[in-house]
Amino acid sequence: MSEFLLTQIINYGAPLLGIIVFTGGLGIPLPCTLLVIAAGAFARQGILPWHTTALVSIISVVAGDSISYSLGRYSRELVLQRFSETPRWLQAEQSFQKWGPLSIFFSRFLVTAIALPVNLLSGTTRFPFKKFLVYDLSGEVVWIFGYGGLGYWFGSEWELVNEFISNFGGLVLGVVIFGFGIRQAWNWQKRNKAKSYNNAEA
Amino acid sequence: MSSKATPKQRALVIGLILFGILFTIFFGMRAIHAFKKFDGHRPPPSGKVETDVELIRDWMTIPFISRMYRVPEKNLFDAIGVPPFSNHDKSLKDINQDYYPNADGYVLDMVKATILAHQPTPMPDSAPSAVPPLTAPAAP
Repeated sequence: MSEFLLTQIINYGAPLLGIIVFTGGLGIPLPCTLLVIAAGAFARQGILPWHTTALVSIISVVAGDSISYSLGRYSRELVLQRFSETPRWLQAEQSFQKWGPLSIFFSRFLVTAIALPVNLLSGTTRFPFKKFLVYDLSGEVVWIFGYGGLGYWFGSEWELVNEFISNFGGLVLGVVIFGFGIRQAWNWQKRNKAKSYNNAEA
Repeated sequence: MSSKATPKQRALVIGLILFGILFTIFFGMRAIHAFKKFDGHRPPPSGKVETDVELIRDWMTIPFISRMYRVPEKNLFDAIGVPPFSNHDKSLKDINQDYYPNADGYVLDMVKATILAHQPTPMPDSAPSAVPPLTAPAAP
Protein backbone atom coordinates (compact mmCIF):
# COMPACT_ATOMS: atom_id res chain seq x y z
CA MET A 1 0.00 0.00 0.00
CA SER A 2 2.71 2.51 1.05
CA GLU A 3 4.80 1.67 -2.02
CA PHE A 4 1.83 2.09 -4.36
CA LEU A 5 0.99 5.47 -2.82
CA LEU A 6 4.64 6.62 -3.01
CA THR A 7 4.72 5.83 -6.75
CA GLN A 8 1.45 7.70 -7.28
CA ILE A 9 2.68 10.75 -5.34
CA ILE A 10 5.73 10.88 -7.62
CA ASN A 11 3.32 10.83 -10.59
CA TYR A 12 0.48 13.06 -9.39
CA GLY A 13 2.18 15.26 -6.78
CA ALA A 14 0.58 17.60 -4.27
CA PRO A 15 -3.11 17.12 -5.31
CA LEU A 16 -2.88 13.39 -4.60
CA LEU A 17 -1.10 13.98 -1.29
CA GLY A 18 -3.92 16.39 -0.43
CA ILE A 19 -6.56 13.71 -1.16
CA ILE A 20 -4.66 11.15 0.90
CA VAL A 21 -4.24 13.34 3.99
CA PHE A 22 -7.89 14.45 3.67
CA THR A 23 -8.94 10.79 3.68
CA GLY A 24 -6.61 10.19 6.64
CA GLY A 25 -8.29 13.09 8.45
CA LEU A 26 -11.62 11.30 7.98
CA GLY A 27 -10.17 8.34 9.85
CA ILE A 28 -9.33 5.96 6.99
CA PRO A 29 -6.06 4.28 8.08
CA LEU A 30 -3.45 5.37 5.53
CA PRO A 31 0.32 5.78 6.02
CA CYS A 32 -0.01 9.59 6.03
CA THR A 33 3.03 10.35 8.21
CA LEU A 34 5.27 8.26 5.96
CA LEU A 35 3.93 10.09 2.90
CA VAL A 36 4.44 13.52 4.48
CA ILE A 37 8.08 12.68 5.32
CA ALA A 38 8.58 11.30 1.79
CA ALA A 39 6.94 14.41 0.28
CA GLY A 40 9.50 16.53 2.14
CA ALA A 41 12.28 14.47 0.56
CA PHE A 42 10.64 14.73 -2.88
CA ALA A 43 10.48 18.51 -2.45
CA ARG A 44 14.22 18.58 -1.82
CA GLN A 45 14.78 16.51 -4.95
CA GLY A 46 12.73 19.01 -6.94
CA ILE A 47 9.87 16.59 -7.63
CA LEU A 48 7.29 18.55 -5.60
CA PRO A 49 7.09 22.30 -4.94
CA TRP A 50 7.37 22.50 -1.12
CA HIS A 51 5.15 25.58 -0.60
CA THR A 52 2.20 24.30 -2.67
CA THR A 53 2.54 20.81 -1.24
CA ALA A 54 2.57 22.11 2.35
CA LEU A 55 -0.38 24.44 1.75
CA VAL A 56 -2.52 21.84 -0.03
CA SER A 57 -1.74 19.24 2.65
CA ILE A 58 -2.59 21.54 5.57
CA ILE A 59 -5.89 22.68 4.01
CA SER A 60 -6.86 19.10 3.10
CA VAL A 61 -6.06 17.52 6.44
CA VAL A 62 -7.83 20.28 8.38
CA ALA A 63 -10.88 19.81 6.11
CA GLY A 64 -10.83 16.05 6.83
CA ASP A 65 -10.51 16.68 10.58
CA SER A 66 -13.37 19.17 10.49
CA ILE A 67 -15.63 16.63 8.79
CA SER A 68 -14.85 13.99 11.41
CA TYR A 69 -15.52 16.64 14.10
CA SER A 70 -18.91 17.28 12.44
CA LEU A 71 -19.65 13.54 12.42
CA GLY A 72 -19.12 13.56 16.17
CA ARG A 73 -21.25 16.67 16.59
CA TYR A 74 -24.18 15.32 14.58
CA SER A 75 -24.05 11.90 16.20
CA ARG A 76 -24.33 13.49 19.65
CA GLU A 77 -28.02 12.59 19.89
CA LEU A 78 -27.23 8.93 19.24
CA VAL A 79 -24.55 8.96 21.94
CA LEU A 80 -26.85 10.70 24.39
CA GLN A 81 -29.56 8.08 23.73
CA ARG A 82 -27.07 5.50 24.95
CA PHE A 83 -25.59 7.44 27.88
CA SER A 84 -28.45 9.95 28.43
CA GLU A 85 -26.38 12.51 30.31
CA THR A 86 -25.23 10.06 32.99
CA PRO A 87 -22.75 11.38 35.60
CA ARG A 88 -20.06 9.46 33.75
CA TRP A 89 -20.90 11.21 30.48
CA LEU A 90 -20.99 14.62 32.15
CA GLN A 91 -17.62 13.87 33.74
CA ALA A 92 -16.21 12.89 30.32
CA GLU A 93 -17.55 16.13 28.83
CA GLN A 94 -16.04 18.19 31.62
CA SER A 95 -12.75 16.35 31.35
CA PHE A 96 -12.64 16.93 27.59
CA GLN A 97 -13.25 20.66 27.98
CA LYS A 98 -10.16 20.68 30.24
CA TRP A 99 -7.85 18.30 28.37
CA GLY A 100 -9.32 18.70 24.87
CA PRO A 101 -6.90 21.39 23.58
CA LEU A 102 -3.84 19.33 24.52
CA SER A 103 -5.36 16.11 23.15
CA ILE A 104 -6.27 17.79 19.86
CA PHE A 105 -2.86 19.42 19.44
CA PHE A 106 -0.68 16.41 20.30
CA SER A 107 -2.82 13.81 18.52
CA ARG A 108 -2.15 15.63 15.23
CA PHE A 109 1.52 14.68 15.16
CA LEU A 110 2.64 12.77 18.25
CA VAL A 111 -0.05 10.13 18.90
CA THR A 112 -1.75 10.09 15.51
CA ALA A 113 -3.48 6.78 16.29
CA ILE A 114 -5.92 8.61 18.58
CA ALA A 115 -6.61 11.53 16.21
CA LEU A 116 -9.95 10.17 14.96
CA PRO A 117 -11.39 9.36 18.42
CA VAL A 118 -10.28 12.83 19.57
CA ASN A 119 -12.03 14.49 16.59
CA LEU A 120 -15.25 12.54 17.21
CA LEU A 121 -15.13 13.22 20.94
CA SER A 122 -14.54 16.93 20.29
CA GLY A 123 -17.73 17.04 18.22
CA THR A 124 -19.80 14.85 20.54
CA THR A 125 -18.86 16.82 23.67
CA ARG A 126 -19.63 20.10 21.85
CA PHE A 127 -16.07 21.34 22.16
CA PRO A 128 -16.24 24.81 20.49
CA PHE A 129 -15.48 24.44 16.78
CA LYS A 130 -13.39 27.62 16.53
CA LYS A 131 -11.21 26.43 19.40
CA PHE A 132 -10.98 22.97 17.79
CA LEU A 133 -9.91 24.58 14.53
CA VAL A 134 -7.16 26.61 16.21
CA TYR A 135 -5.61 23.59 17.98
CA ASP A 136 -6.16 21.33 14.98
CA LEU A 137 -4.50 23.77 12.61
CA SER A 138 -1.56 24.33 14.99
CA GLY A 139 -1.02 20.57 15.37
CA GLU A 140 -1.27 19.95 11.63
CA VAL A 141 1.19 22.75 10.88
CA VAL A 142 3.68 21.07 13.25
CA TRP A 143 2.96 17.72 11.54
CA ILE A 144 3.43 18.99 7.98
CA PHE A 145 6.34 21.36 8.56
CA GLY A 146 8.01 19.27 11.29
CA TYR A 147 7.87 15.86 9.61
CA GLY A 148 7.93 17.19 6.06
CA GLY A 149 10.86 19.39 7.10
CA LEU A 150 12.76 16.38 8.45
CA GLY A 151 12.12 14.59 5.15
CA TYR A 152 13.35 17.67 3.29
CA TRP A 153 16.44 17.91 5.47
CA PHE A 154 17.38 14.24 5.13
CA GLY A 155 16.53 14.07 1.41
CA SER A 156 17.05 10.64 -0.10
CA GLU A 157 17.70 9.17 3.38
CA TRP A 158 14.17 9.99 4.57
CA GLU A 159 13.43 6.32 5.34
CA LEU A 160 15.66 6.57 8.43
CA VAL A 161 13.56 9.46 9.70
CA ASN A 162 10.35 7.53 9.05
CA GLU A 163 11.61 4.44 10.88
CA PHE A 164 12.46 6.49 13.96
CA ILE A 165 9.25 8.54 13.96
CA SER A 166 6.91 5.57 13.49
CA ASN A 167 8.54 3.70 16.40
CA PHE A 168 8.63 6.81 18.55
CA GLY A 169 4.88 7.29 17.92
CA GLY A 170 4.29 3.71 19.11
CA LEU A 171 6.39 4.39 22.21
CA VAL A 172 4.37 7.53 23.06
CA LEU A 173 1.11 5.62 22.50
CA GLY A 174 2.34 2.91 24.91
CA VAL A 175 3.17 5.53 27.55
CA VAL A 176 -0.27 7.16 27.10
CA ILE A 177 -2.10 3.81 27.50
CA PHE A 178 0.02 2.93 30.54
CA GLY A 179 -0.53 6.38 32.07
CA PHE A 180 -4.28 6.14 31.49
CA GLY A 181 -4.43 2.74 33.21
CA ILE A 182 -2.36 3.94 36.18
CA ARG A 183 -4.49 7.08 36.54
CA GLN A 184 -7.68 5.01 36.58
CA ALA A 185 -6.25 2.61 39.19
CA TRP A 186 -5.04 5.56 41.28
CA ASN A 187 -8.50 7.21 41.18
CA TRP A 188 -10.17 4.00 42.39
CA GLN A 189 -7.71 3.65 45.21
CA LYS A 190 -8.25 7.28 46.24
CA ARG A 191 -12.02 6.86 46.22
CA ASN A 192 -11.79 3.61 48.21
CA LYS A 193 -9.60 5.33 50.81
CA ALA A 194 -12.02 8.24 51.10
CA LYS A 195 -14.94 5.84 51.43
CA SER A 196 -13.30 3.77 54.17
CA TYR A 197 -12.31 7.00 55.99
CA ASN A 198 -15.93 8.22 55.83
CA ASN A 199 -17.18 4.85 57.10
CA ALA A 200 -14.70 4.91 60.00
CA GLU A 201 -15.82 8.45 60.94
CA ALA A 202 -19.48 7.47 60.82
CA MET B 1 -19.44 6.80 39.30
CA SER B 2 -19.30 4.00 41.90
CA SER B 3 -16.15 3.93 44.00
CA LYS B 4 -15.85 0.15 43.81
CA ALA B 5 -14.59 -1.16 40.46
CA THR B 6 -16.35 -4.17 38.99
CA PRO B 7 -14.16 -7.21 38.15
CA LYS B 8 -14.64 -6.35 34.45
CA GLN B 9 -13.39 -2.79 34.95
CA ARG B 10 -10.49 -4.07 37.06
CA ALA B 11 -9.51 -6.52 34.32
CA LEU B 12 -9.75 -3.76 31.72
CA VAL B 13 -7.45 -1.45 33.67
CA ILE B 14 -4.93 -4.21 34.39
CA GLY B 15 -5.07 -5.10 30.68
CA LEU B 16 -4.44 -1.46 29.75
CA ILE B 17 -1.46 -1.20 32.10
CA LEU B 18 0.07 -4.45 30.80
CA PHE B 19 -0.63 -3.53 27.19
CA GLY B 20 0.91 -0.10 27.79
CA ILE B 21 4.05 -1.65 29.30
CA LEU B 22 4.42 -4.13 26.42
CA PHE B 23 3.83 -1.42 23.81
CA THR B 24 6.33 0.89 25.51
CA ILE B 25 9.03 -1.78 25.72
CA PHE B 26 8.50 -3.03 22.15
CA PHE B 27 8.42 0.38 20.47
CA GLY B 28 10.99 1.80 22.90
CA MET B 29 13.56 -0.81 21.82
CA ARG B 30 12.75 -0.23 18.16
CA ALA B 31 12.90 3.54 18.58
CA ILE B 32 16.33 3.32 20.26
CA HIS B 33 17.58 1.06 17.47
CA ALA B 34 16.17 3.42 14.81
CA PHE B 35 17.61 6.46 16.59
CA LYS B 36 21.10 4.93 16.57
CA LYS B 37 20.88 4.48 12.79
CA PHE B 38 19.31 7.91 12.35
CA ASP B 39 21.82 9.61 14.64
CA GLY B 40 24.80 8.20 12.76
CA HIS B 41 23.65 9.82 9.51
CA ARG B 42 24.03 13.42 8.59
CA PRO B 43 21.77 15.05 5.99
CA PRO B 44 23.43 15.17 2.57
CA PRO B 45 24.71 18.63 1.59
CA SER B 46 22.26 20.71 -0.41
CA GLY B 47 22.58 20.40 -4.19
CA LYS B 48 24.58 17.16 -3.98
CA VAL B 49 23.81 14.69 -6.77
CA GLU B 50 22.84 11.33 -5.30
CA THR B 51 25.35 8.58 -6.01
CA ASP B 52 24.37 5.79 -3.58
CA VAL B 53 22.48 3.26 -5.70
CA GLU B 54 21.42 1.33 -2.59
CA LEU B 55 18.80 4.05 -2.04
CA ILE B 56 16.92 2.99 -5.19
CA ARG B 57 13.64 1.23 -4.37
CA ASP B 58 11.34 -0.72 -6.65
CA TRP B 59 8.43 1.70 -6.07
CA MET B 60 10.41 4.45 -7.84
CA THR B 61 9.73 5.39 -11.46
CA ILE B 62 12.35 5.87 -14.16
CA PRO B 63 11.80 9.68 -14.46
CA PHE B 64 12.15 9.99 -10.67
CA ILE B 65 15.41 8.01 -10.62
CA SER B 66 16.66 9.93 -13.63
CA ARG B 67 16.13 13.19 -11.76
CA MET B 68 17.54 11.90 -8.48
CA TYR B 69 20.80 10.60 -10.01
CA ARG B 70 20.94 13.02 -12.97
CA VAL B 71 21.10 10.18 -15.48
CA PRO B 72 19.12 10.69 -18.74
CA GLU B 73 15.82 8.79 -18.80
CA LYS B 74 16.65 7.45 -22.26
CA ASN B 75 19.78 5.72 -20.95
CA LEU B 76 17.76 3.99 -18.24
CA PHE B 77 14.94 2.91 -20.56
CA ASP B 78 17.50 1.68 -23.12
CA ALA B 79 19.35 -0.26 -20.43
CA ILE B 80 16.24 -2.15 -19.32
CA GLY B 81 15.10 -2.63 -22.93
CA VAL B 82 11.68 -1.07 -22.40
CA PRO B 83 10.04 1.71 -24.47
CA PRO B 84 9.54 4.99 -22.54
CA PHE B 85 6.05 5.41 -23.94
CA SER B 86 3.41 4.14 -21.45
CA ASN B 87 6.10 3.17 -18.93
CA HIS B 88 6.81 6.66 -17.67
CA ASP B 89 4.63 6.48 -14.60
CA LYS B 90 5.18 2.80 -13.81
CA SER B 91 7.25 1.69 -10.85
CA LEU B 92 10.32 -0.50 -11.43
CA LYS B 93 8.36 -3.34 -9.85
CA ASP B 94 5.49 -2.96 -12.34
CA ILE B 95 7.88 -2.71 -15.30
CA ASN B 96 9.61 -5.85 -14.07
CA GLN B 97 6.28 -7.69 -13.78
CA ASP B 98 5.14 -6.54 -17.23
CA TYR B 99 8.33 -7.21 -19.19
CA TYR B 100 10.42 -9.68 -17.18
CA PRO B 101 7.98 -11.73 -15.10
CA ASN B 102 10.45 -14.59 -14.77
CA ALA B 103 13.43 -12.48 -13.71
CA ASP B 104 12.64 -11.10 -10.27
CA GLY B 105 14.49 -7.87 -9.48
CA TYR B 106 16.11 -7.66 -12.91
CA VAL B 107 14.94 -4.11 -13.69
CA LEU B 108 16.08 -2.81 -10.29
CA ASP B 109 19.52 -4.38 -10.66
CA MET B 110 19.85 -3.16 -14.24
CA VAL B 111 18.96 0.40 -13.26
CA LYS B 112 21.54 0.29 -10.44
CA ALA B 113 24.20 -0.99 -12.80
CA THR B 114 23.39 1.69 -15.40
CA ILE B 115 23.63 4.47 -12.83
CA LEU B 116 26.95 3.13 -11.55
CA ALA B 117 28.26 2.96 -15.10
CA HIS B 118 27.13 6.54 -15.66
CA GLN B 119 28.98 7.87 -12.62
CA PRO B 120 32.49 9.29 -12.90
CA THR B 121 35.28 6.71 -12.52
CA PRO B 122 35.92 6.14 -8.80
CA MET B 123 39.25 7.06 -7.24
CA PRO B 124 41.73 4.13 -6.89
CA ASP B 125 41.27 3.88 -3.10
CA SER B 126 37.45 3.74 -3.16
CA ALA B 127 35.52 0.50 -2.59
CA PRO B 128 34.67 -1.69 -5.60
CA SER B 129 31.09 -1.79 -6.88
CA ALA B 130 28.74 -4.22 -5.13
CA VAL B 131 26.53 -4.73 -8.17
CA PRO B 132 27.66 -7.66 -10.33
CA PRO B 133 27.59 -7.42 -14.12
CA LEU B 134 24.27 -8.51 -15.55
CA THR B 135 23.15 -10.45 -18.55
CA ALA B 136 19.72 -9.53 -19.87
CA PRO B 137 17.05 -12.23 -19.83
CA ALA B 138 14.98 -12.47 -22.95
CA ALA B 139 11.93 -10.21 -22.88
CA PRO B 140 8.66 -11.98 -23.75
